[in-house]
Amino acid sequence: MPLFWLLLAAFILAPCACFLLLAVSPRLFSQGDQWFTLTYLHQALTGATAVAIVNSLWVSSAAAALGIAIGFPIAWLASRTTLPGRRFIPAAMWLVLLLPSWLPALGWERIVQPDGVMYRLGLDWPWVTHLIMGPFGVVLLLGLRCVPFSYLAITAAMAGLGQEFEDAARVHGASRLQAMRLIIPILAPAIWSALAIGFAESISDFGVAATLAYNSNFTLATYQLYADIGNFPPSFPLAAGMAWLLVAAVAIPLALQARALRGRSYAVLSGRTRQAVRREFGRWGKIGATGAVALFFVVALGVPGFGAVSASLLADYGGSFSLTWANYHALFAQTNLAAAAGGGLLSPLERSMVYGIITATITVIGGFIAARLLSKRRTKATGALDFLLLASVALPGVVFGAGYIFAYNLPIASRLGINLYQTATLLVIAYTASSLPTNARVLVGAVSQLQPSLQDAARAHGAGAITAWARGVLPVVSRPIVMAWLFTFCGVFLELPLSQLLYQPGSPPASIAIEDNLSNYHFGVGMAQSVLAVAFALALVGAVLGGYRLLAPAGWRRIGGTVRG
Amino acid sequence: MAEPITIESLGKTYPGGNVALHELSLAVEPGSFLVLLGPSGSGKTTLLRCLAGIERVTSGRITIGQRTVADGRTHVPPDQRDLSMVFQDYALWPHLSARDNVAFALRRRNLSREQCRIRAVQMLARVGLSALAERYPNELSGGEQQRVALARALIADTGLILCDEPLSNLDADLRERMRVEISSLVREAAATTVYITHDQAEAFALADQVGVLEKGRLVQSGTPEQIYTRPATPFVARFTGLAGEMTVRVRERDPDGMVFVEPVLGGGAIDEFSGGVPGRFPVRAPMEELPGETALLMVRPTGVRLNQDERHLAGRVTDVAFRGRGYEHAIDLDGSTRLTGVFAEFRVPRGEVVGLRMDPAGCHLYPAEPSDAQDHLPERAVVGAPES
Repeated sequence: MPLFWLLLAAFILAPCACFLLLAVSPRLFSQGDQWFTLTYLHQALTGATAVAIVNSLWVSSAAAALGIAIGFPIAWLASRTTLPGRRFIPAAMWLVLLLPSWLPALGWERIVQPDGVMYRLGLDWPWVTHLIMGPFGVVLLLGLRCVPFSYLAITAAMAGLGQEFEDAARVHGASRLQAMRLIIPILAPAIWSALAIGFAESISDFGVAATLAYNSNFTLATYQLYADIGNFPPSFPLAAGMAWLLVAAVAIPLALQARALRGRSYAVLSGRTRQAVRREFGRWGKIGATGAVALFFVVALGVPGFGAVSASLLADYGGSFSLTWANYHALFAQTNLAAAAGGGLLSPLERSMVYGIITATITVIGGFIAARLLSKRRTKATGALDFLLLASVALPGVVFGAGYIFAYNLPIASRLGINLYQTATLLVIAYTASSLPTNARVLVGAVSQLQPSLQDAARAHGAGAITAWARGVLPVVSRPIVMAWLFTFCGVFLELPLSQLLYQPGSPPASIAIEDNLSNYHFGVGMAQSVLAVAFALALVGAVLGGYRLLAPAGWRRIGGTVRG
Repeated sequence: MAEPITIESLGKTYPGGNVALHELSLAVEPGSFLVLLGPSGSGKTTLLRCLAGIERVTSGRITIGQRTVADGRTHVPPDQRDLSMVFQDYALWPHLSARDNVAFALRRRNLSREQCRIRAVQMLARVGLSALAERYPNELSGGEQQRVALARALIADTGLILCDEPLSNLDADLRERMRVEISSLVREAAATTVYITHDQAEAFALADQVGVLEKGRLVQSGTPEQIYTRPATPFVARFTGLAGEMTVRVRERDPDGMVFVEPVLGGGAIDEFSGGVPGRFPVRAPMEELPGETALLMVRPTGVRLNQDERHLAGRVTDVAFRGRGYEHAIDLDGSTRLTGVFAEFRVPRGEVVGLRMDPAGCHLYPAEPSDAQDHLPERAVVGAPES
């Protein structure tokens, strides 16, 4: 256990704390003369950085609002009506959630860019280009990413909201609309959560900031922070100042959400909650509702998917829409381009796959240990762990990455023999450290439901510690563990900000290789890599889920599953 | 103003073919308190929800006052039926204070917001919650929540109040206190009340009229006394509290309406007394003709007493439970026939053989049922006798 705490301190607490401390005390890290100064925080609030922060604030607010405006109706349609195809909505939402934000952004870009798919199809619509390649497009894409958070939060709340509240309103004189207006505030916790998470996710997003927003000359805070480190000479204290602002921007809505809900209970579940009745639509209502939901998925997945796939089948230059497999051939052939990309165009995908598998495995083990600690009786130590993990969830990936660069470049690291900077090891450690907080949060729900008696019963009936765990505990948490593993893998496989800041030169992970190809105008190959990457990821998810279904004992699969009949 | 209710040939079939109500007809006098009694799945909740307008009827007609609110073509939505309802889990909106929950029901009365608040506080005072008006549902105990729900149902002075098992979530002590409160407050309001429960003691204590439902049909309707003293079917008898049942042989009928029966007991019958035990005893003649020589005898807890001297039957005490005002005994007659809830003010130890005297008023005779009738015996009917 001390080793666990040491690792947490070394890989989560220390890098982030050092980096944030740097903004107010540069001399502590030999980055300036002052022991204490607010200059860098002040600088972060002026000039280009201030513009970036303001852009991020309003864009994130608008995106969170858009997320709830779209997510709420879809959640209501999925949980309270007989909408055709509603069974597919959860899976499609997870797909929207798990796709890294830069992928749809690139898909859209490749459609609307001058020389993009739209123009090659003969659609000369510059106004669409201007609309998407600007603040509107950025809000749209970030807002679409917020939809799954709203959807998941609202459907979870609606699942527990029985029919009685609406019935009670109706029998006491409320019309259908008035009843709905009465019910919506009961969902306030879910709505607040969705808004806070949507805002936090949007403001800490790097994928859209580094692609669509950057290419549209619309600077967001995360990209500005990256640029502060990437420019020569790098200004770590200024970047740290920006990090403070970002962390505050993420933490404030989360804190406000907690404050708004403190002392209030919106508990609606009781043992006798009557399941809500699904509303039947009329013919036109059904067509309208299905069309609206389909439109969301077309915009969120279909258009960027079409953009990516079609761009991967087009030659880089030329004005016609003639399809070719040349880009995919290039992926599998050893060409100069491939050699420049570091040993073949497929190797970044393989590399990311390996990184993802290693990271997901370590993270699930660490996450399980953390979840176990969090679900035990609260002590000062577990309270500190809880705070550390919660604070880390609110930490944008780019701040995390900047903290790593800074901390592992300090002379003291070298003096201690820790020469991890620009190694794959540090990248995997950073992936793990950034995934662990979310992973622990995902697992803590399942772990806190574990009855200690399960393991105790196995021990009392003669099983050793490991057997007792394997027989008494593992079956109960196997499904959440598999899901947490997949969740982490998908997050890491095409991760961008940490990869951008920490990858080992000459060994780029998939997201960097794709970005490099696109920025060097190898659009076709870059998009072919993207398409293959998504296909790889989906194949792995399918293989893991299929493997679990085939190999896990029937009893394991029953736990937490749906019982038919 | 209290409304009469007429239900004619009501049918409700859920999607999937589950028939919840079947040709059910019932009339409720204005201002009376009707309790619908039945086990789970008997259709009582569906009937209540059809009355409220939450469910659409499949066939038949519901008339409230002079207005048809539901038939094959008409479905008046719940908000236009001018009724109120107490829900099983209270359905208090968690984001509204107790006062606002109650005031909500006044919206349809077109009063100002201030008037609604004042009346809500007055109503809460009537149910003893004036000090808690600003609290939210989660800050109230189960009994307090129940009172808020009751206040919400009473405040708008509707002609019809529906109650969906409102006491089922409360513990025994609170249930009894709330039962008294509901009874008095609802009668003060002089509204017609339809109340559903599966607890026969609660039903008898509250009702002016009881309707017993079985598998979506109304099997008997009448005053609590009629239901208890003249249960129309074995189901009604079982559901309203039995000490036990046994097969009997009909020996003699006399012109005064009495029938003499003799129990058909198994090989393990107690025969330790001389003087013809098990013996013949009189019971009231059944409502319907008995087709055969054997019949089914249903015995209320009030239909059997411990009596060594004037005994009709003998049995062995297998269990005894202290009930405060005396003791209830379980008595085995022959190894397979058992009477429970046999009351005595004194305790008879387990294993002792006792004499039993049958009281015709508590014994009901029915045509013999198929042998599997015992499988349908609800546990409550045997062990849970109403306080009498």
